[in-house]
Amino acid sequence: MGELYRRLRYLLQRNRHSQELADEMDFHREMAARAGRPASLSFGNAVRLREQSREAWGWTWIDRLIQDLSYAGRTLLRSPGFTMTAILVLAVGIGVNITAFSLFNMMVFQYLPVRDPASLVRLQRRSPDASTNTISYSAMLFYRDHARTLSAVMGTFGTSVLQLESDPQPVSSNFATENYFTELGIQPSLGRLLDPAQDRVNGSAPAVVISYGFWQRHYGADPNIVGKVIHLNQKPATIIGVTPYILPSLGNQHPDLWLPMNQIAYFIEGNTTLIDTGSSGPIEMWGRLAPGVSAKTAEQELLSLTNQLRKVHPKDIWDNEYIRTDPGGHDQIMQPEMLATMAMCGALVLLILAVACANLGGLLLARGVAREHEISIRVAIGANRKRIFRQLFTESLLLSSLGSAAGLFLGYIVIRITMAHANAPLWMTATPDWRVIAFAVAVGLFAALLFGFAPALQIARQRQRKTIARQMLLGAQVAASCVLLIVSGLLVRAVQHALHTNPGFGYEQVISIDPGLSTHGYKPADARNYIEQLSNRLRTIPGVTSVSLTSMTPLSHFRVSTISNTINGHLVRIFPFQVDPEFFSTMEIPLLRGRNFTPREEHAVIISDTLARKQWPGEDPIGKQDASGSAPGDVVVGVVANARLMDIQNGDTVELYHAAQEANMADLVILIKTAGVPEGFIPSVRTITRSLDPKLFPEVNTLKEGFRDTTRSSGNIAMVVSLLGFVAVFLAALGILGLVAYTVSQRTKDIAIRIALGAKPLHVLASLLSQFSWPVALGLVVGIGITAGVSHTMRGVLYGVSNLDPFSYIASIGILLAIIACAAFLPARRALRLDVARALHQD
Amino acid sequence: MSMMPKIDTPKPGMPSGALAMLILRVLQSGSLHGYAIAQRIHLLSSEVLEVEEGSLYPALQKLLLKGWATADWGISETNRKVRFYNLTPAGRKQLETELQEYDRVTQAIQSVLRTA
Repeated sequence: MGELYRRLRYLLQRNRHSQELADEMDFHREMAARAGRPASLSFGNAVRLREQSREAWGWTWIDRLIQDLSYAGRTLLRSPGFTMTAILVLAVGIGVNITAFSLFNMMVFQYLPVRDPASLVRLQRRSPDASTNTISYSAMLFYRDHARTLSAVMGTFGTSVLQLESDPQPVSSNFATENYFTELGIQPSLGRLLDPAQDRVNGSAPAVVISYGFWQRHYGADPNIVGKVIHLNQKPATIIGVTPYILPSLGNQHPDLWLPMNQIAYFIEGNTTLIDTGSSGPIEMWGRLAPGVSAKTAEQELLSLTNQLRKVHPKDIWDNEYIRTDPGGHDQIMQPEMLATMAMCGALVLLILAVACANLGGLLLARGVAREHEISIRVAIGANRKRIFRQLFTESLLLSSLGSAAGLFLGYIVIRITMAHANAPLWMTATPDWRVIAFAVAVGLFAALLFGFAPALQIARQRQRKTIARQMLLGAQVAASCVLLIVSGLLVRAVQHALHTNPGFGYEQVISIDPGLSTHGYKPADARNYIEQLSNRLRTIPGVTSVSLTSMTPLSHFRVSTISNTINGHLVRIFPFQVDPEFFSTMEIPLLRGRNFTPREEHAVIISDTLARKQWPGEDPIGKQDASGSAPGDVVVGVVANARLMDIQNGDTVELYHAAQEANMADLVILIKTAGVPEGFIPSVRTITRSLDPKLFPEVNTLKEGFRDTTRSSGNIAMVVSLLGFVAVFLAALGILGLVAYTVSQRTKDIAIRIALGAKPLHVLASLLSQFSWPVALGLVVGIGITAGVSHTMRGVLYGVSNLDPFSYIASIGILLAIIACAAFLPARRALRLDVARALHQD
Repeated sequence: MSMMPKIDTPKPGMPSGALAMLILRVLQSGSLHGYAIAQRIHLLSSEVLEVEEGSLYPALQKLLLKGWATADWGISETNRKVRFYNLTPAGRKQLETELQEYDRVTQAIQSVLRTA
């Protein structure tokens, strides 16, 4: 310990010590001279001696590093062209990695700017074979009142649309428990926010908080807005305040209005959320861990509470149900199922880095040849190989640090652009935090090892002329860019496929009308009544060709249910629909065998073609029972064509249709098919719904919109991956161009002589390029192998990617080969137009 | 150049740290500066051992690092500012162990030489 302390103290006073040692030695020599001994040391030796003496302290590596760095800096400054190229290549390679990590970091590690975000948890019902992200109001209150491990429980009730005054555009609203804003420590920009202490303004209308954006947009930032009475669904409400400009919200919700949860039934007439017993309901539940309590402890307590609930509501609580806690203070809640996607993205960006590094390694080797002279001089005057290797590797480290810095900057720019386009929450910042910086440093070091180690070794051993190293680097580049290109090809094709192949149903002319009957507490009989009236009225609109009912709106993400079953050893996702007989004609889904339902027919199911084939390959499914996902006793009466209604990009899912029963009526959505532009029908639909029941404010959408939303994200993914693929190919092409140009420059004389002796230019070209052919071929083989290996994983991430899409493979390989050929041919052609005489006189 | 054997970097066969031990021993009787240490060893060895700067100063640095000696500024006999080295308690202890070790090894070697 004392020794370390002395070492550190020495380090801090290094310069003084060094000076003292020099003085001491001077004195020593002086004394020796007085004693009549000749000074046995020349000055140079004295310097070396001082260095040896200082070595005892173990800090000489710092001096060496500084020496090496300054030398490296001078070397790099001497060849600005190379240095700029290298930094640019690295900035791209490292930059994409930093960008990917930053995005991940922002979503998963960055905390919301709220009070004590680390103790926030999202609470969800889970069991080994069921899961839901919402819970009933009464169960939430039960957990809130009994959980000792939670200091607070908050609830939000997802976005509902309310009618403001008589505006044509509905407003999006969230109901939240009164402690929502105070618990998160959010300050209003005007007035006050919901507050458990005063949820009603003395005897006046219920409180409503408006969002900053809505205040700006809708009220022109009126400073006197607080106290204004507005009408929502024709119910008066008082605006009590405006949320801050930057509102960090749990689960990233950004409605126009925030309303107190205990007023749900006031605003949405007939809604029974607050009085329903049982466990399932529409509330998202969040909690704050009590001080010093771990999430695990809370989960244990919540489990025992769940078991108490089961005693009261045995039917509502699933077998082995528990409440799962997830960290709630982030923008995204890390779900295990996201891991595959992230791993794939990580692998792709690492491939880019690999291409960049292989590319740069080639450049360094070529530079090594140019520096033979310098290196051989240094060896001649006594530098050992180790020292030269260290020197060269320091150069690589310096380059990679500069590349990392440039990559950080590049990443910052890209993220700024991404955030602007992706409507990122305002509190998110693109400024790199310590994690991103640390990551940048690590990737920089890793890159330096990748591109600098082998060339430095080769050059220090003066073997840089060996072609094998260069061929390996070329092969690696080709392999990596081949993987990237094929993967991007597969993705682009998958998206194209989703967008341009027939999804198995017609959606362009269809409008969905969700009257939200169950939210308004309609009983089944009333619901059936309403739906019959509405359907009849809709049929009278000129241009409406078909009206039908369904439990799930095609192409939407709202209220989607799926069943995962194993059929003959394969896991299959089944979408169960409750529909009426007209559904198939509205959605243009052809009946392949058997018959359609009769209205409200019981114990009958219709299955999709794929489900029939999977469950009963080669058999006639009509009349069979126990179709996967159906209830016992249900008989298959018909088979319809596959329709990717709920997951347009996934050709693997299957559908199962039941006839909608009276009991489901309050949960049904009406679909109408129109002749002409569907948007044009929306106003007349609204007129009809208003006249039927003014309490209801149905959501009316075109399916086209849903289609656009669904396909946008995968379109973006495909675009980004293609971009990465082209970056990789560009880098690889650059590397090949440099390599061939370099080879040609090395063999100018040889080529000139051969041409002078009458060799055919084509032959010369062939022999010149032949040394690159096998690494390219090998790289292609390896690349194709890797892609084929990972395409299975990709299927899990992105539906619609086929395992063997020969077109993607062939096209990608074709593009790659064309680019390689161009890159090789350009410099080679110059070699053939050599002025023979000049080339021979060159040296 | 003299024909004297020189203590330079420890050669194989020579007990390592011999020079450090010699320095510690001459510092036992009081503080000395670097040149004086070399002189003292030279004299005490009946002018057989000559300590070069090349090995003296690295050895002194090691002593400082290990905490066996400290260096303080003083005025030399020629009126120059120079560093004087002092033994620390840890240095005395080190010298003792080294001497014991040295005795043990030399006795062992001698007994082998006598009996073999």
